[in-house]
Amino acid sequence: MKKLTLLLTALTLTFAAPVYATSEVTPAETQAERIEKSGDAHVSVNGLVCDFCARALEKVFGTEEAVESIDVDLDTKIITIYFIENQSLDNDRITTLITDAGYNVEAIHRVE
Amino acid sequence: MKSMHIPIFLWALLGMGLFIPSAHARPVSYPGGVTLMLMNDGDKNTAHLHYSPTAKTSLGYKFEYWREKDFTLNAIQMNNLLKRWNKKDSQANIYLKSGIGVAHSNSGDFDNETEAAGFTGLATDWENRRFFISYENRYTEAGDIDDFYQQSARVGWAPYEGDYGDLHTWMMLQVEHMPEAKDNVTVTPLVRFFKGVHLLEAGMNNHGKLLFNYVLRY
Repeated sequence: MKKLTLLLTALTLTFAAPVYATSEVTPAETQAERIEKSGDAHVSVNGLVCDFCARALEKVFGTEEAVESIDVDLDTKIITIYFIENQSLDNDRITTLITDAGYNVEAIHRVE
Repeated sequence: MKSMHIPIFLWALLGMGLFIPSAHARPVSYPGGVTLMLMNDGDKNTAHLHYSPTAKTSLGYKFEYWREKDFTLNAIQMNNLLKRWNKKDSQANIYLKSGIGVAHSNSGDFDNETEAAGFTGLATDWENRRFFISYENRYTEAGDIDDFYQQSARVGWAPYEGDYGDLHTWMMLQVEHMPEAKDNVTVTPLVRFFKGVHLLEAGMNNHGKLLFNYVLRY
């Protein structure tokens, strides 16, 4: 009986989780309202399969002075990098940061 | 038995990693990441703290208490990411995990005995945002106190795909095999939740023993 109760509790929590899954406003959500400016970068990345992957890249880019914030889209596998005014990172630096974090860069496109 | 001590310690020194069969959490974090794992299952209680200077290596400290065997293990551990495949929608990994430290027995013929100990093993996994599969093994040598082999596998399914920052849920099934144990196959259905830096797993195995793991990744 105890095992059945525990199993039913676990199943209930699992299928009820989506109802509560949506977070409060997160850095990613606030970034979605940002206006992209010239020089910001869209980077297509391979290996982005989980929340932890996104968090890792946020931490890595967070140490770069030129970066104001990043937005990670786990559906499209695209990272948008928002730079501080009049600052930027070149493509080689972006690629190095992502590769050193354990992922691969597929393409980099700049906002014109 | 003594002749086996040399090979296992050579492997441990060569590989220098750590294997944690019960948690299956990422053994290596992002560069600069710190991870704390607290794990409890039908066999043991474990605490593991590690730091990842790069995305390919982690170094840390591990404590294990094997309840039925009644011995403790204190070890320095290092995990090495041997190979990663990054695809558009999936990722696969192979890790080498070994450790070296000290085992202390609290019972039987080896009561109050301390021995040098080491362990090594391989782990591999594949995942996308919906499915997960992993396999790992480990050989542990603790001098005259004990030596044993274990292996485990997991399959997992995410009932929904959360966005970054959401609460993520996985349903998993873990199968463990320890040849020397009386009940040498253990099956554990479990549920995994993670949000932000927190990960939590809970389940119960086919022997009625609880599994409860907590991981903090910072």
